[in-house]
Amino acid sequence: MKRVIIIRYGELFLKGKNRGFFEGKFEANLQNALKDVAHKFVKQSGRYLIENFAEEETEFIVEKLKKVFGLHTLSVAYETSSDLESIFEAAKLLLKPSGTFKVESHRGDKRYPLTSPEISRKIGGMILDYSKGSLSVDVHNPSFSIRVDIRENGKALVFGEFIEGANGMPVGTAGKGLLLLSGGIDSPVAGHMMAKRGMIVECLHFHSYPYTNMQAKEKVVDLAKILSEYTVGTTLYTVSVTHIQEAIHEKCKPELMITLLRRFMYRIAERHSLHIGAQCIITGESLGQVASQTIEGVTSSNSVVEKLPVLRPLIGFDKNEIIDRSVKMGAYETSILPFEDCCTVFLPDFPATRPKMKDILFEEGKLDVEALIEEAFASIEKIEI
Amino acid sequence: MIYLDNAATTKPCALAFERAKEYVTEKFYNPSAMYKEGFAMQSELKKARSVLLSKIADESAFELIFTSCGTESDNQAIFSFAKRGNAVTTAGEHSAVSAPFAELKNRGICEPRIAPLEKDGRVNVQKLLDLIDEKTSFVSVMHVNNEMGAINDINQIAKLVKQKNPRVIFHSDGVQAYGKIPFRLAKEVDLYSVSAHKIGGLKGVGALIKRKSLVLPAYMIGGGQESGRRSGTENTFGIMQFAFAAENKFQTLKADYERLIEYRETLWNGLDQSIFTRISTQDGTPYILTVSAVGLRGEILLHMANDAGLIIGTGSACSSNAKSRYSKIALACGYDEKTADGVLRISFSQATQKEEILKAIEILNGVAFDLKKRMK
Repeated sequence: MKRVIIIRYGELFLKGKNRGFFEGKFEANLQNALKDVAHKFVKQSGRYLIENFAEEETEFIVEKLKKVFGLHTLSVAYETSSDLESIFEAAKLLLKPSGTFKVESHRGDKRYPLTSPEISRKIGGMILDYSKGSLSVDVHNPSFSIRVDIRENGKALVFGEFIEGANGMPVGTAGKGLLLLSGGIDSPVAGHMMAKRGMIVECLHFHSYPYTNMQAKEKVVDLAKILSEYTVGTTLYTVSVTHIQEAIHEKCKPELMITLLRRFMYRIAERHSLHIGAQCIITGESLGQVASQTIEGVTSSNSVVEKLPVLRPLIGFDKNEIIDRSVKMGAYETSILPFEDCCTVFLPDFPATRPKMKDILFEEGKLDVEALIEEAFASIEKIEI
Repeated sequence: MIYLDNAATTKPCALAFERAKEYVTEKFYNPSAMYKEGFAMQSELKKARSVLLSKIADESAFELIFTSCGTESDNQAIFSFAKRGNAVTTAGEHSAVSAPFAELKNRGICEPRIAPLEKDGRVNVQKLLDLIDEKTSFVSVMHVNNEMGAINDINQIAKLVKQKNPRVIFHSDGVQAYGKIPFRLAKEVDLYSVSAHKIGGLKGVGALIKRKSLVLPAYMIGGGQESGRRSGTENTFGIMQFAFAAENKFQTLKADYERLIEYRETLWNGLDQSIFTRISTQDGTPYILTVSAVGLRGEILLHMANDAGLIIGTGSACSSNAKSRYSKIALACGYDEKTADGVLRISFSQATQKEEILKAIEILNGVAFDLKKRMK
């Protein structure tokens, strides 16, 4: 008897002729998730098995697999000979001390001498005898189930629960996006959501050193690393907007600092996206959350992006919903570390919440936009996560 | 790169490092072992203990317990003796003392009381004494303030404290004083914390000096090292290097003291005084000059100076992560937020060179002028 992990995938079935492409990406992502642990990867029709791993690595493997998008459910199973005695020995390890149960069986091997209902009845009977009254059968609403899968190689898989996977689509099957990653709660969640739909996510971070500190940048590296567990690795690009902020501070109305700065950020993001082959910009904006995320603010920054769509997966989310997802993906603790990621030195006391396009264009006209963007690009750094 | 953040840590003494090397390569034995080689290590540690203690205390009245850092020494002093009634400290303490005091309240152990500071960073002694009553079990007053450089006369303060309540246990955090300030412990001081890496030793080594007759409860229980009070296999290399570094440092203590007063004043006199305000006083330690570029943010100047080739500090390095960026100590001394936000701490070591001071003046004036212009 040995332990194996059964991996089942979901939506991939829907993809018809592209199925090979989707499966290929999914397999590669699964292998990548398990790159730190010795194992054997077995492909079967409609599912995968992880075999030949050290038993003490089981939990580690399960946790890693739970982060792979495209995975529907997984189960930790025992592989045994397909005779009833062996199956019963495995089932014993999965029993709870009391409650109700049922046995569900499935025959991959139709030559097996018993039918599925017969297998269930026999094993169920053996369990009842063994439990001496502490367990009873309930086929409709059992407190736990024992599942038996007879394979074609003379082996059986015996397991209990289905562990919920991350669902979604395999990363790498839905193009590439550039995520504007700040040090906050929202943007890692936005990246996570797009990766869930199969998108490769690379990250762009704006800093204003020396007005912001090293820890703030390190925190963004940490967030990118957390995100990368879901995105099958990522690349973080950092760009300094120090001189842009200084120029706005020097020449423009203070209440438009953020509005104008964001227009620069979006311009830089689009150019960089095109440069690295990203097909969209992803942001963590949520309508009305802060002054710059009003519809007027969003319109202002959106209007400088000429060729690409800007995806805002959080636009209709409440803060609490975003926090829930952040906690779930394991980013929250890092996101709330108290380093300022955006320079607060130049922040106006009362930022404009409904900036008028006429004012924005007038103020922006005082700046040499092209030269400032060129200069910002010269500061770009690339960090492989 | 010019390094003037020596109050955060100093470059380890190379000579001491060379001398201590054999405790890694040859004499690596466990001092608790029964064979000759192990036992020999015990004698070596004894010598190191004696070197470190004899420089500032009477060995017949005091003893020294090795710890892993100044913070451990402070924590153990506080949690071992602040056990009932109230405990009194100052508003100027390093977080290694102030945070455990806050914890005394959180854990419901005893009531912490905080004495205010004078404008220069010393504790207001009269107000400290006013806080002490018959229920006070413990008093902690730092020797040299790590942000302001102010020197508390702890021998005198300990005497006054004990006059008011002789049963009080008196502790002082001497991390910024040990090996730097001419000083010998008075018998009224019960406990004194020191750290190796502020005088050319390594990080990870500290000591708690205590009056011999004071019973310190065992606080790390195990193999019985440090006379049973602080179990754990000794960091022999770190301890020996600390002792060698201290030998070295104490030899030049007086000369360093005089020379650094001159350097500190040279630095201050060279700074553009239309931008910088002096916070630390001439009576403070010569190892620290604290100024404020009022209206500018200290942290930004720190980054700009860094890029220009000069390393300095803002407040305590250990508190730079804190949510509130203002120098807590400067606020406690009565400075406003604008001043506290602009605080820079420039700190020296025995290795600091005059040319470095001159270059630092040039850089600091340059970046402050530059930032002021950009912020206009």
